Amino acid sequence: MENSVVIEIKNLTKIFGGLCAVSDFSGNLCENQIIGIIGPNGAGKTTIMNMVSGIIQPTSGSVVFKGQDISRLEPEKINHQGIARTFQNIRLFQDMTVLQTVMTAYSWRAPYNVLETLLSLPRVGKFEKEIREKSMCWIEKVGLTEQANLTAQSLPYGMQRRVEIARALASEPCVLLLDEPGAGLNQSEVCDLVDLIQGLHEELSLAIMLIDHRMDVIMRLCKWIYVQDFGKGIAQGTPEQIQKDPVVIKAYLGEEITNA
Amino acid sequence: MTFYLTVSLAIAVSSIAVLGTFMLTGMNGLFSLGQAAFMGLGAYVSAICVVNYGLPLPVAILISIGITIVLAAFVGLATLKIRQDFFALVTFGFGQAVIGLLTQMVNVTGGAMGFSNIPEYTTPALAFISLAVAIVFVWGLRKSHFGRDSLAIRSNELAAKVAGINVFKHKMIIFIISAVFAAYAGALMAFHTQYVEPAMYGWITSVTWIIIVFFGGRDSLTGTVIGALVLLAMPEVLRFTAAWSTLIYCVIILLIINLRPRGLFGTWELTLRSLTRLFKPKKAVEEVK
Repeated sequence: MENSVVIEIKNLTKIFGGLCAVSDFSGNLCENQIIGIIGPNGAGKTTIMNMVSGIIQPTSGSVVFKGQDISRLEPEKINHQGIARTFQNIRLFQDMTVLQTVMTAYSWRAPYNVLETLLSLPRVGKFEKEIREKSMCWIEKVGLTEQANLTAQSLPYGMQRRVEIARALASEPCVLLLDEPGAGLNQSEVCDLVDLIQGLHEELSLAIMLIDHRMDVIMRLCKWIYVQDFGKGIAQGTPEQIQKDPVVIKAYLGEEITNA
Repeated sequence: MTFYLTVSLAIAVSSIAVLGTFMLTGMNGLFSLGQAAFMGLGAYVSAICVVNYGLPLPVAILISIGITIVLAAFVGLATLKIRQDFFALVTFGFGQAVIGLLTQMVNVTGGAMGFSNIPEYTTPALAFISLAVAIVFVWGLRKSHFGRDSLAIRSNELAAKVAGINVFKHKMIIFIISAVFAAYAGALMAFHTQYVEPAMYGWITSVTWIIIVFFGGRDSLTGTVIGALVLLAMPEVLRFTAAWSTLIYCVIILLIINLRPRGLFGTWELTLRSLTRLFKPKKAVEEVK
C-alpha cells in the first residue's frame, strides 16, 4: 500500500535557551495513515506537535505539507492549509456552548465582511445557518448531539475531549494532530476514544498524528511509531517492531514489561 | 432646547462611544485607556474643518473618521501583537500624547483655553438615530461570527488561533471600529456643546466608559446601553447632593460590581423571546424544580 506523503518533517530541531527539546527529528505522515510519537515525559513530543501546528517556530529544520514549507507560518494559516489539532490540556472557550465552540472553526471561511453585518444581510444569516448544520454533523460524529446546547466547560472531561476533536474536525482538515487524547481519561473512556478515532480515520480517510504515553492507545491505532527520549529519536517502526526493540524497552517499556 | 433634551442628547451621543468600549473591552477584553482621545480627535478635527475651513458637516465628520482610522491602525499595529497589559499602557500613552498635542498646538486648537464658536449642528434626531444605528450595528456584529470570535479570543487566544481565527486581524478590526465610534461621538458632541477643550478627553473618560461596560454587564448589549443611560445620567441626577455626588456615584458602582460581578444584566439580552420568558417565569422555574 503506497500512499503519498502529506507531511514531511525534516531534521526538526528546537532549542529553548540551553535545553535541546527536540533534536533532529525526521518523519513522514502519509495519506490515510495514523502515526504515533511516544516517549516519556519531557521527550519533546508536544514540542514536535507545536512546531507542526505553528505554535512555536523550529530553531532549524522544516515541516513540508503537500510540497510547501509551512514551518514559518502562523497557527491560523496552518489551520487554513488543512492541519487541525487538539490540546493535551483541553482548551475550550468559556461560556460557549458545544455548538458555538465547534462553529468557531468556520469563522475564517465567512464570505461577508464587518460592514455587511451592519445590515445583518441575508448572507450572514445564510452562512450562520449553513455552518450550524455542518457543525451539528461534526458534533453528531463525536456523539455529543444531546449536549450540543450545553456549555462546553460544564461537561465531563471525556466529553470535553470530544468537543475539542469536533472543533478540530470542523476545520475540515486532511491532517489531524491529537496531543495526548487519552490524558486524564479512565479505561472505558479511553476505549471509546480509540474506537472514535479509528472510526473517524476510516470514515474521513484522515491522516492522523498521535502523541500519547499510553501504550495501549498507540499500539491499537498506529501503523508506524516514532519513539522519542530526551529530545532524541531512538527508534521507529511498526508496533510489533517497537515492542521488541531492545533500545525502546530499555528506555521506556522496560518497566511495563517486567510488571506484566 | 430644554434642559432635559440637552442632557439626554449628550447622553445618547456619549453612549455611542461607550458602545465602542463595549466591543473592545467588553467583548474582546482589550483595555484601552486612550479611547477618549479618539473622541477628542473626532471632535477637534471635525470642528476645525467646519469652523476654520468652512467644510460641510458630513465631509468634516468623514475627514475626522479617516484620520481616526489611520491613527488607530497605527496604534493597533504597534500594540495588538504584544501582550494585553501592554495594550492598556500604550493606549494610555497614546491618549495622553493626543491631549498634549491638542494643548500645545495653540494656534490651531486654541490650546488649553479650548476651541469655541462651533455651530450647533447636532439635532436630537441626528443624535438618537445615530445611537440607534450604532446599537443595531453592535447587535449585528455580535450575531455574526465576529461575536463568536471575540468570545473565543477573550477566553483562549491560542485555541482561537489554532481554530483558524486570524486573531490579529480580528482585534485590529474591532479596535478600529471602536475608535471610529468614539470619534463619531466626539464630532456629534462638539457640534452639540459648541465648545471643546483637551481636558475632556483624558484617560478618566476612557476609564468611565470601561466602568459603564462592566456595570451593565460586559456580555450584555442591553446591559451596556442601560448602564450607559443610567451612569451618564447619574451625575445630573445627583447634582442636588452637590459635593456628595462623586461619593454616591462610586458607592453605587461598587455595590453593583460586588453584588453582581458579571454586571447588572449578566448575559441577559432584551429580545422578544427573553421578554416573553420574563413575564411568565414562575411556572418555568417550578417545573424545573
